[in-house]
Amino acid sequence: MDFWDVLLQQVINGVSLGAMYALLALGFTMVYGIIELINFAHFNIFMVGSFVALWVMQAMGFTGQSHILYGLPLIGLLVLVLFITMLTTGALGALMERYALRPLRSVSGPAPMITTIGLSYILFNVILLTTGADSKNYSNPMPNIRWDIGEAVLRLREVLLWGGSIALMIALHYFVRRTKMGKAMQATAQDQEAARMVGVDVDKVVLITFFIGSALAGAAGLIFGLYYNYTSFIIGYTAGLRAFTAAVLGGIGNIPGAVLGGVLIGLIESLGGQYLEVRWTDVIIFSILVLVLVFRPTGLLGHATPAKS
Amino acid sequence: MKPSKHTRRAFNLAAIAGVATLTGVAGITGLQAQQKTIKVGITLPLTGADAEDALLIKNGALMAIDEANAKGGVAGYKIEVVTYDSGTATAGQYDPAQAATNTKKLISDLQVVANIGPQMSGEGKAMTPILSEADLATITPSSTNPDITDPKMAAQFKPKGKAIYFRTVTTDAFQGPNMANFFSQNLKVKTIFILDDSGAYGVGIADAFQRQAEKNGIKVLGRDQLNPKEADYTTILTKIKALKPDSLYYGGVAQAGVKLAKQAHDIIPNVIKAGGDGVQGGSFLKGGGFPAVEGWYSTNAGPHLVEDPATADWVKTFTTKYGQNPSDYAITAYDAALVALDAIKRVAESGKEVNRSNVRDAMQSTNLKTLQGVVAFDENGDIKDRTVSVFQYKKNPQYPDDDIIHQQKYLGAAPQS
Repeated sequence: MDFWDVLLQQVINGVSLGAMYALLALGFTMVYGIIELINFAHFNIFMVGSFVALWVMQAMGFTGQSHILYGLPLIGLLVLVLFITMLTTGALGALMERYALRPLRSVSGPAPMITTIGLSYILFNVILLTTGADSKNYSNPMPNIRWDIGEAVLRLREVLLWGGSIALMIALHYFVRRTKMGKAMQATAQDQEAARMVGVDVDKVVLITFFIGSALAGAAGLIFGLYYNYTSFIIGYTAGLRAFTAAVLGGIGNIPGAVLGGVLIGLIESLGGQYLEVRWTDVIIFSILVLVLVFRPTGLLGHATPAKS
Repeated sequence: MKPSKHTRRAFNLAAIAGVATLTGVAGITGLQAQQKTIKVGITLPLTGADAEDALLIKNGALMAIDEANAKGGVAGYKIEVVTYDSGTATAGQYDPAQAATNTKKLISDLQVVANIGPQMSGEGKAMTPILSEADLATITPSSTNPDITDPKMAAQFKPKGKAIYFRTVTTDAFQGPNMANFFSQNLKVKTIFILDDSGAYGVGIADAFQRQAEKNGIKVLGRDQLNPKEADYTTILTKIKALKPDSLYYGGVAQAGVKLAKQAHDIIPNVIKAGGDGVQGGSFLKGGGFPAVEGWYSTNAGPHLVEDPATADWVKTFTTKYGQNPSDYAITAYDAALVALDAIKRVAESGKEVNRSNVRDAMQSTNLKTLQGVVAFDENGDIKDRTVSVFQYKKNPQYPDDDIIHQQKYLGAAPQS
């Protein structure tokens, strides 16, 4: 591999990593954007999503990499699994909002955020105790199709990852900007009291926000499993920390910002690993985060939010 | 009405705490009523990425203790087992802090006269200073980091001077270098890239391997470290691919190993890949799966026992009792328990008090025939036998994919230096 092949391969690796972080950060940053709540449970809903998808595929007879599908059956299966997973994790997020977070909405201070940490630990331990701690070999019906570009390689699963992230980002962006519910969300984000005065059902808006955010986490869970052929109860932790960083770097609450932040971190990770050493990855990422926040406290694409009364 | 709600909650909490205390007291009284009981600890990471292998080790040790109790105990003492889990959910594998907490619990119970464990050297490093202060000996069936028993590091790991960390396996001071010999002599490897998983065991064995590999004339093209919680190793694997080494050596345990194997299978399929005893066992095989683990070499810091005709009966008993095939480290765990029980027996029969320091002294002078042969220790606690076995994963479609005995081939003992 010459210099350019290596560079190209590391850019492919970095963009893929970034797409994964972005996918995770999308739902997280959306919830923050609407109700200014840092939802730590998001990353373990992502983890649960990867298990739900695995169970669905196992129930349909797909274990390990035993059955490979092509064309329409493959797309059909993935769409079906994606749908079930998003529905399940969406419902899980909505339940959490309804029964654990709504009663706390009028409480100021860190109580709701601490509650999300608690919920996060519950999910984490339920999966640990019911499925065991060993790493799981993921069910994967995707063929190992690859395209060689010089000595660099692009794989089908990278295309899936990029495609999935871009499609979900565009869908989410369109939903928030263009639909009636999206506009109600924006109104709620700006001022809950005023939104209620003009007839927005704030409770319903927040519930749907959680549903969508958690459904996105579920989608990310499935894509994670297919991409790495692996899942474990612990995947929410590191990926979550990076995705959180991506959201802050891009401007928390800002959907395109999450994608920009994710891709930037992915590229820093892969290029830093190539030209320095992998063990320095975290030092580099968090130094850049601190620097960006010193000069742009709201993140790369964030706007200063007006103080709320 | 808020205050009353709070009061009620507080009352509930107090009630729960009260009940807990009562049960605790009842438990202690129950124990004291039983005459001539002595306790042996078992500390293993039963939660986390290595749980699969830890359970086999636990069962191996339990089997020896159950057998002894069934025969009426050891020199009149009934042996009671106290088990502590050193794995935590937040670490996802063994957790040194938890290992230290468990050790403090162990030493606070004076009836505990010996311990079996840990599985991992990272736990061992956290446990030894505490064990040393209490003069409580532990015997590990699988922890191989040489620092812990190195006399040069005595101030850190055995501040009171006496050996308290005994092993029924050899150390990475032999496991790493012997494998490096296997690489240069048997596999004729010329170039290598070395990775570790940033844990105590992983860094130690990779260092020991690297020193011997360089001595043997293998060119080390690079050395880097994986974060075991990270999911993505494509960056480092791309870097390795560009350097075109003949081989890759990974020092570390299953948590990073599983992901490394999967991604390496994709990115550097034709590079020879190997690890130590961290990739030897069910956790790596099951999590990695075929085809990812196909062709990986691994080692054990002891003789290969589970396919030895001499242990066939034992293996059958174990499989019937626990419904799972044993690993080699289940056998070294059985041996470890035999060593502990033998030490207790010798102390009791000599008429001395069965306490920690007497049991430790007896353990030091062990000369016991076990399943792996005669176990005896040098003055640091290390086993005198220094056999390292080499294996290679090879799919055998006749057996289930997670059958650790049949999905790998035993290639023989690695050349000693």
